[in-house]
Amino acid sequence: MIIVKDLHKKFENNHVLRGVNYHVHQGEKIVVIGPSGSGKSTFLRCMNLLEVPTSGEIWFDGVNITDPKTDIDKVREHMGMVFQNFNLFNNLTIMNNITLAPVKLKLMNKEEACENALKLLERVGLSEKADAYPSQLSGGQKQRVAIVRSLAMNPRVMLFDEPTSALDPEMVGEVLDVMKGLAESGMTMVVVTHEMGFAREVGTKVLFMDEGVIMEENTPQEFFNHPKSPRLQEFLSKVL
Amino acid sequence: MQAWFEKSAKMFEAAFITGDRWKLYLNGLGVTLEIAFFAAILGMIIGTLLAFMKLSSRRNGKKTILAVIANIYIDIIRGTPSVLQLMIMWFIIFANSKNGVIVAILSFGINSGAYVAEIVRAGILAVDNGQMEAGRSLGLSKAQTMIHIIIPQAVKNVLPPIGNEFIVLLKETAIVGYVSLTDLTRAANQIASRTYEAFMPLIGAAVIYFIVIKILTILLAKFERRLRKSDNR
Repeated sequence: MIIVKDLHKKFENNHVLRGVNYHVHQGEKIVVIGPSGSGKSTFLRCMNLLEVPTSGEIWFDGVNITDPKTDIDKVREHMGMVFQNFNLFNNLTIMNNITLAPVKLKLMNKEEACENALKLLERVGLSEKADAYPSQLSGGQKQRVAIVRSLAMNPRVMLFDEPTSALDPEMVGEVLDVMKGLAESGMTMVVVTHEMGFAREVGTKVLFMDEGVIMEENTPQEFFNHPKSPRLQEFLSKVL
Repeated sequence: MQAWFEKSAKMFEAAFITGDRWKLYLNGLGVTLEIAFFAAILGMIIGTLLAFMKLSSRRNGKKTILAVIANIYIDIIRGTPSVLQLMIMWFIIFANSKNGVIVAILSFGINSGAYVAEIVRAGILAVDNGQMEAGRSLGLSKAQTMIHIIIPQAVKNVLPPIGNEFIVLLKETAIVGYVSLTDLTRAANQIASRTYEAFMPLIGAAVIYFIVIKILTILLAKFERRLRKSDNR
């Protein structure tokens, strides 16, 4: 579904991604872990071109999205993204946060979008917050709304960029629960996270990134119980 | 004491009553407000345009031609005194024009635009970049995200410094006397030289400016409070 070929990304003199190759298949839940500065967030942000790669190719559903001629806005309609800092639209109510894109992009009319939004809010237990503003919500609630906002576009894949890193500890669970439910529904997911429990439980593949490359890739079982590279062994001994 | 009082009353009469002189202040104030009002609108339009020109960027991150033009405009306008700009407009560029008020509006509008540009740009940049990224990640275009997400938030950021700019602009119009327009300041000055008594006309004009700006300040504060309400904080 997503094919990444020899991806490189440089910021000024900082060579963040040094040749990443990967193939995400439909229905997979890929969990990416690694130390900070390893390039895992950049890798994820390249997938929907929030970061423009320096070189390399990314294909999504048979379309080369790194080709400048590709209409990236059209591609992004099918790729949801959830951010570390939620990034809910501060000037809009929760309802309008969710319905803005589907309505403006003419995928639904206003009533359909509202109905769909309420259904999704119900799923994450936040239907009574529809008319609230983001500033009135807790971090965990904001992130659940952010997930709903992405889902409202009926994406084919969801990208998560450290979705629980900015949350108070007691709110991490409620967000992970929503993500687990989403995984069970069959959504294709790529998740950058530090939540090892989530990686073990939900991931179909776990990737370890360091120094701008994918150092190790395996099923969660093998990944956590029999890490091969010394670098991963060292990393796991620190975080587990 | 009584002598002082009588003298003041006479001065007041000479400055405001005799020959219906109060009408001169009023006419002057009318000119001041007319120039300031339309120059403020023109300045907002030019400033917003310049701000977006400056914020335009190419895919490789280099400056666009539009950004370069905006930079040159802002540099020139901010780098020269506004009274000189006004005189250049009046005596050189529109030397044949008979409508001084319109030339003054143009001149002040062009001047104000350079300052408004920086205010608007700062207001837009103050909106967290994550808002743009979230909009783009949903498939909205840059323009759509700007219109529905960024600009509504930027307006709130921009309001206090814009109010400040309006106040500066209103007072700055006092220099139109240089191109022989009779605004409030010049009217007061003319009366002072006719009555050989500067105190009453000049203090009177100062009080009028003060009152007008106080009213403007109150209106801006009200408007700001109304916008903040939608924050629901």
